[in-house]
Formats: sequence, C-alpha cells, structure tokens
Amino acid sequence: MPRSPANNTLAPLLRQLAGKLGDRQAASELRWMAAHVRKTLGDTAARTEHSGAQYRRARLWRDQPAPSTEEADLDARRFSSVQWAWLRQAVADRVEKHKPLQYILGSQPFGKTEIGVRSPVLIPRPETEEWVLRLAESLAAHHAARPPPPPPPGAPSPPLSILDACTGSGCVALGLASELPPGAARIAGVDVSADALALALSNQTRNAAVLNNEVEFHQIDLLAADTASRLEALRPGGWDMIVANPPYVTPAEYRGLDADVRDWEDVRALVPMPLRVADELDPSGVSFIERLAVLARALRLAREGALASPALPRLVVEIGGAKQTEPARQAMHDNGFGRTEVWKDMAGTDRAVLGYAEK
Amino acid sequence: MIRALQLCAWRQRWYATAVWARPTLPAGSELAGKSHLTAPIHDKLRVLQEKHGNLSQQLSGDLSVLGREELARLSKELSDTARVAEPYGRLLQLYADLVELQQLMGDEDAKLRVFAQEERELALAGAAECEREIIAALLPKDSAEDAGAIVEIRAGTGGDEAALFCGSLLRMYERFAQLRRWKLETIAMDSDGDKVSGAVVKVSGRGVFGVLMFESGVHRVQRIPATETMGRTHTSTATVAVLPQATDVHITVKESDLRIDVFRASGKGGQHVNTTDSAVRITHIPTGTVVENQQERSQIQNKEKAMQVLRARLYERERQKLANERRADRNRLIGSGDRSEKCRTYNYPQNRVTDHRVNFSLYNIEGVMQGTALQQVIDQLRIQHDLDELASMG
Repeated sequence: MPRSPANNTLAPLLRQLAGKLGDRQAASELRWMAAHVRKTLGDTAARTEHSGAQYRRARLWRDQPAPSTEEADLDARRFSSVQWAWLRQAVADRVEKHKPLQYILGSQPFGKTEIGVRSPVLIPRPETEEWVLRLAESLAAHHAARPPPPPPPGAPSPPLSILDACTGSGCVALGLASELPPGAARIAGVDVSADALALALSNQTRNAAVLNNEVEFHQIDLLAADTASRLEALRPGGWDMIVANPPYVTPAEYRGLDADVRDWEDVRALVPMPLRVADELDPSGVSFIERLAVLARALRLAREGALASPALPRLVVEIGGAKQTEPARQAMHDNGFGRTEVWKDMAGTDRAVLGYAEK
Repeated sequence: MIRALQLCAWRQRWYATAVWARPTLPAGSELAGKSHLTAPIHDKLRVLQEKHGNLSQQLSGDLSVLGREELARLSKELSDTARVAEPYGRLLQLYADLVELQQLMGDEDAKLRVFAQEERELALAGAAECEREIIAALLPKDSAEDAGAIVEIRAGTGGDEAALFCGSLLRMYERFAQLRRWKLETIAMDSDGDKVSGAVVKVSGRGVFGVLMFESGVHRVQRIPATETMGRTHTSTATVAVLPQATDVHITVKESDLRIDVFRASGKGGQHVNTTDSAVRITHIPTGTVVENQQERSQIQNKEKAMQVLRARLYERERQKLANERRADRNRLIGSGDRSEKCRTYNYPQNRVTDHRVNFSLYNIEGVMQGTALQQVIDQLRIQHDLDELASMG
C-alpha cells in the first residue's frame, strides 16, 4: 500500500534526530543526509528535478486559490520511496545505534580530498584537518622559497620523504599530497590494520585527480622490533619527516567515550595499548607518541640531514590536549630533538607537537 | 503709496537678481531631446570648461616661470578637466549644429530638408554619447564596483509565503548571473525545497558589485498564495543585502582582532569525540561584527566562507563611512545601503514590478523573475544613481 503523502515529510525525522543532537545540529545533519540521497540515489534525481520545476511553476501562480492535489503529491515526491526508506534507516541508525554520520554518508571532506570512511577505521577529525593544512601551507611556502638547486642547474630539487605513521583512512598522507605543490614530497602511509590499508588505497584512487604528489601505503606494525629497518628499506635515501595522528586516548577516558566513537571506531586507533594492560603501563596515553620519538631517532631524523632544511619540523604528532604537551615535548627532547613547538586547534586546545632537528 | 512703490522697486530688483542667478541651459540643448544634464549641472560644466581653458592657456605660455611641482600639478589638472571639458565642448558644438539644422528643416528645398533630418539624427546620437561620457568622467570611480559581490537574502514577514518568495528571488539572481556568465557559489543556505529562509551567495565576475549594488533593500511580493482559499492577495517581504567582495587590497583584517569560536559538544575534541558540528563563528573584536557559518561538513571550509563574508561586511562598513562623510548633507535614495527601506514590489496579479526608488514599473514579472528583464530595472537605477552622484558633487 502506498504511503499517504502526509507521512512523507522531514519533520518527524528532524524531531527524532533532535532528541540526540539538539535542534541546530539535527537540522544540519538532516540537510546533509537529504543532499546525500539526492546525489547518490540518482535514478530518481531527474524526476525529482522535473517535479521541482513543476512544483515551482505551480507555486508561481496567478490566480490559483487552493493547493491542488497534484501539488501536494509533488511535495511528497521531492524524494522517491527509495530515498525516503534510506533517510528513515539513516536516522534510525544515527539515533538508536549511534552510528556516526560520516559512516552513514560514507565519506568526510578533508582539505581538497574526499575521504571515504567505513567502520572501524578512524573518521578524520576536523582538528587533524586543521594541523595538516597548516603544515602543508608552511611546507609549501618553504618549497617555494627554496633556493635554486646547486649545479647542474636543471636538476630538480628532491622531494621530501614523508612518513605518515598510523595513516588509517590515509587522510593525512592524501591531504598533504593534495595540498603540496607537485613534486614537493614523496609520502608513504603505514598502518597496522588491514582494514585501514584497504580503505587508504581506495581513497588514493578516489582522490587521484587532486593528488599532486606520489603516495604509497604499506602494512607495517610500528610497535614491532624490526620496524626501523623495514622503514629504512622503504627509503634507502633516508626519511625527512614523520607525521602522525597516533592513538592518544587514555584507557580511563576510553571507557567514558560516546557510543558514537566507542561502538564504531577501532580501539587500536584510539588507545595506544591493549586495554587490559594500558591502565598499568600507559595511564596517560602517551606511549605511542614516545614510540614515534624513538623511531624518529632511529631513522636519524633528529639530526640535521643532508636533504631537508633545519627550518622544517622532523616529527609532527597530534596530541590529546594540554596534558600530553609536556610528555610529548619531553619524549622529543630525550630523543635528540633540539627544539619543539606546540600548535593549538581552533578551539584553543593544544593539538600538535612539532620537533625540529638540533641546530 | 510711496511704500507700495518702494516695495515694487525692491521686488523688481529682487526678480532681476534672481533671474540673473538662475542656472541656464545652453542654447540649443532643448533640441537635443531628453537630457540628464540639468541647468545646475550645465553651470558646473561651464565652470570646468572655463577652468580647462585657463589651464591650457597657462600651460601654452611661458613654462619657465612655473616650478617643477607647479607644472606637474597643472598638467594633471589639465588632463583631469579635459576628460569633462573635451566632450562638453563637442556637446555645445552639437547643440549649435542642432539650432542650425532646425532652421534648415524649415527650408523650402526638400533635398536640404532631408539632409538636415539625417544630420539631425547623427547630432542627436552624438549628443547622447557626449552626455554619457561627461557623466562618467564627472563621477568619482568607486573601486568596489569592479569587485564581485556577496548577496545575502533573508525571508521577512509572511511565513512560508515569504520563504517561497525568498527562494524565487534567489533563483532570479541565479539566472541573472548565469545570463551574464558570472560565477555563483553558495556560502550558506537555509532551505526546505522551494522555501528558503535565508541564503548567502558569492557572485564573482567583473563589475558584479556595480550592477547588483542597487538590489539592497526590502523586496515586497503581492500575490495570492496557493494555500489561500478566499483568493485574498497577501503581502510578504524578503530582505536583500549586497556587499562588495573584498580582497586584501581593499581591507586588511588583523588576525589578532579576530576571535574564532567553534561549537564543540565536548571540550576535548580530537579522537575523543566524533562531532559533526562544523559551525564556526568569527567575531571581529574592534567592530563587534559577528559572522557564523555551518553550511559545510568541513569546519575549514566554513571558516573560509565566514571569513569571506566578514571581509565583505567590514569593507562595506568602511565604504559606507567614507560615503557618509563625502555627502553628509545629502540623503540619497539609491545605493544608500539602507536595508530597512522598501525598494521594490513584485505584484503578480498585475504582472508588474515597481522599483519605488525611481518610480519605475515594468509589466513583465515573469521576465524579471527569469533574470532576463532585471537589467531593465537596474539600468534605471544606475542612471538615477549617477545623476544623484552628479548632483551631490560640490
């Protein structure tokens, strides 16, 4: 039995969402969901477009006193039945199962790229996007200001070798590759998770049009004993920089996280150690950051290299707020970094620590 | 009796002075048809022409008595006045020609009459051209007019009907922009189907602001809503604000003057939460200007767009301040940026669009709403605006 047009309005869906998100955010999410079905469930798009024009004409009346049944019908047909079904399911998932909107829509914009996401790979966060774009801007400025290479004059300056540790969906690696000028960098993303690797590769294909620089992905466990040698084998010429959004949630915090995060995203992307041992071994959530500092030293990043200038950071790690700033700086200093810098995010929270080679 | 005579004499004297002081039109100008140059403007033009004559005489004389700076100043003034004096000289010549041709048209010789008629057409066209040149030369160049524009439309009184009208206006500008090959970009949009409660769009192209600047104000629609069973005409409104797009050249915004707020559910951010709340609010502390954007899923994009709107607002503020200083004594109707004034009415039952600022009506509402006939309304506003500017010049 066909649904009566009166049932097909967005109002009940909006109310449902508002219970979880509040009015303002519910309106935004529903708007994005509606835009998504219009775009993706496209077999009806042409018809909707056509109806829309008719609907408008019907509205631009001269002397049309009452709403015609045709008009009411057109109103309901702004979405096809398939689209309505999708919207209802999406709202139910969002409200009852706390499924993140990004998993529902299947992607999240990140700089110039559109990063495909699927559970349990970590969804790119706006804070990450912020520091990645800022880093890309300063690297690009540095690239532009680089003096002409020594003779032979025609030789291109070598690209920066950048390692994206804990790449996940690949957003940091792909974000940098799209923002940096062509040939400025050669980026490798590594992750322990096979899910993440597969997703990162598909994101590379998806964003091929905007990538200016070479990107590759490898499945490597950064906590393994032979990591440094495996990484060295990838770049016999040496690495210039490590960037990372490593897991930094403390085990205590993890237990209190929203279901949106805890039920849907990989714990390995959030907490640096297995939960059963983390309480004892890493209550402050900084062990992975420390591990990266050690790795950076093993890859001789803390010293002035032949390739990159000392004005560039050698290790850039995202952190979980001010309480991790000092441990992260300490870890860098302990591993030979001469100078560190802290970047805040738009909300004013300490968000990234940068280590520079000693002078 | 004596007093009455005295009064008479005084009056006569007064009349004589008044007549002498009254601005006059040059001979022959009445033959040139409809002119935007009024008598006071002609007086100003004569002064400028005289000044130009004096300057060129001075500069054709002995230059050695003038200092280098003096010389540079005079040459600049000469070229400035020439932009007006030169076409004005041609215009006066054409007026004189018209007087002669008028006489010839009464001639007995038919050939001569035809010749005079043809010549007259040419002279008329030439006069109109000179007039345009003069007006353009007289007006100060507003660099904002070359810029793109940011157009904000908000539904006003009238509920759903106002939102529908707001949507119609938005489409009108969209089509108008398409016709002129301007690039249109949505900055923020609050809509449900055809109902638009508010929208901000960025229009890029050459001279966009100069064309759209007159759209600022309250637009009113009169029509019978589809939901109205009694057939009554309803009146609803939408408010339009047009701002010039500002670049760093136009206005510099100091990073330290800005406060940026993001709306996070939890103070933690990062991996701890997965918020979709991408709203950004930027406050320009010195002026208290606040701009918010939550259109896009990307916070960075929202910030970018909010910055564009903020720049435009600050630039418009500066422009208004300057404009007010320039003509504090004049209360212009057009382009004054007063957004509370009702500027235009769209009357569907009468198929009429009336712009109240120039009292101009066009009986082609479909054409206007489709963007094709909007230019006709804007042309009227542009002419009136230029004349107002002209009249306000000292």
